[in-house]
Amino acid sequence: MVTRTCTTLAGGLGLLLCIGAAQAFDLGDALKNAIKQPQQGQQQQKQPSNADLLQEGIGVLAGTRGVSETEEVAIGRQIAGNLLGAAPLVKDRQLQKYINEVGRWVASQSERPDLEWHFGVIESKDINAFAAPGGYIFVTRGLYQILQNEAELAGVLGHEIGHVIRKHHLKLLQQSKVVSLGGKLLARKAADGNEQVQNVIGSGAEIVARGLDKNSEFEADRIGMVLSARAGYDAFGLPEVLQQIGHVGANDSSVALLFKTHPHPDERLAKLDEVVDDRFDGLKGQTLPGRFYKLKP
Amino acid sequence: MNKSPGKTLCGALLAALLLAAPAVHADSGAALKADEIKTEPYRDASTVGRLAAGDKVEIVGKQGGWLKVKSAKGSGWVHMLSIRRGEARKGSAGSEVSGLLGLASGRAGTGQVVATTGVRGLNEEQLKSAKYDEAEINRLTAFAVSKSAAQAFAAKGKLVPHQVEYLPEPGPQRTSEQGENLW
Repeated sequence: MVTRTCTTLAGGLGLLLCIGAAQAFDLGDALKNAIKQPQQGQQQQKQPSNADLLQEGIGVLAGTRGVSETEEVAIGRQIAGNLLGAAPLVKDRQLQKYINEVGRWVASQSERPDLEWHFGVIESKDINAFAAPGGYIFVTRGLYQILQNEAELAGVLGHEIGHVIRKHHLKLLQQSKVVSLGGKLLARKAADGNEQVQNVIGSGAEIVARGLDKNSEFEADRIGMVLSARAGYDAFGLPEVLQQIGHVGANDSSVALLFKTHPHPDERLAKLDEVVDDRFDGLKGQTLPGRFYKLKP
Repeated sequence: MNKSPGKTLCGALLAALLLAAPAVHADSGAALKADEIKTEPYRDASTVGRLAAGDKVEIVGKQGGWLKVKSAKGSGWVHMLSIRRGEARKGSAGSEVSGLLGLASGRAGTGQVVATTGVRGLNEEQLKSAKYDEAEINRLTAFAVSKSAAQAFAAKGKLVPHQVEYLPEPGPQRTSEQGENLW
């Protein structure tokens, strides 16, 4: 989710966001408010739906109902829209088309090949990447510019795709038990805005500034390598990027958020080293440096 | 890109040649841990030397998960994950500078100038105060690529899918997080 900063990626790549465990935002309150507001407004025609929602909330609290894909996408779209409000897409159609081609191909190797995946390069000099539930993935201009070939891009996107398919951010939201209800509200109020969903995800896109737990980042790294290899790329694109990010000084503001929300690249590389062994040695993956779309300075 | 076809072609060829050149020539690095130096980039190739953690190496090539290195302990191939590169990439465009320029032009086009600082990164405050941008999300949606189009794109690049199992989690004895849980 956008939620996570993918800083993880490269080190930061891990950028993604993590909604961290330390949630400043109280989902429980947001849920209560979401339910109360219509009642306080005394709009009688909405009473039945409030009852439905309460019922729904009870179901969620009881663990009897998960988050539907429609709800997941609605939440992701809201987060993505907020993130774009802070950092718009780079105005380069070829670039945006290219990252969608690479990303969709890598995502097609996952267990959610039919999700409507969206990829974008956003205007920020920071080195970071973000994923939001439902298949919304972003790479900053700063990160894109340190990439040298398509396999590295695939690795970075694969890491973010890993967060989406394992629902890392969604699970964090669910821990507060209200995300499902929020999605329901969003779907109902699609026409007049997303205020209720916004209540569930916090302020703006802050959710992407929170960190996921380390193991989620390590898992996304492993997935990033595997999806790259499945897609026919050199599986070591992601580790290459992590090595590069590891060189950026910890005090450099371009990696501040990434390093805050992800384990250090050296630690991530060491974790990969524990399990990679010779597993990818037999594969002759491509790096495609010639096809890699160079961003104009 | 709008220049004469001849120039464009030459430029593309030159770019391709430059890019195809080992991106790692003469990079310096150091061993993160003890590992063997192999004659070939294969696990069962013969060993020509052993690096100790901290040993300096010169990286002269790369193939998959292997780096070709020169060192006082010998020259050959070492697992990429055992080496820490000594220098950051000097981005051709210079990510710092181009990032600034790019931001300036990109933002000028959006009219979203709420910046508290001249150059924008993405800090928590900015993310927190971010406002939903419907126009941008619609632009994003318009760039979506279908599964079949992605497949065609892959075929064009001669990308061949492989069956690869997901990697296992690191064993508990080496996973500090899990180890902590034991206590």
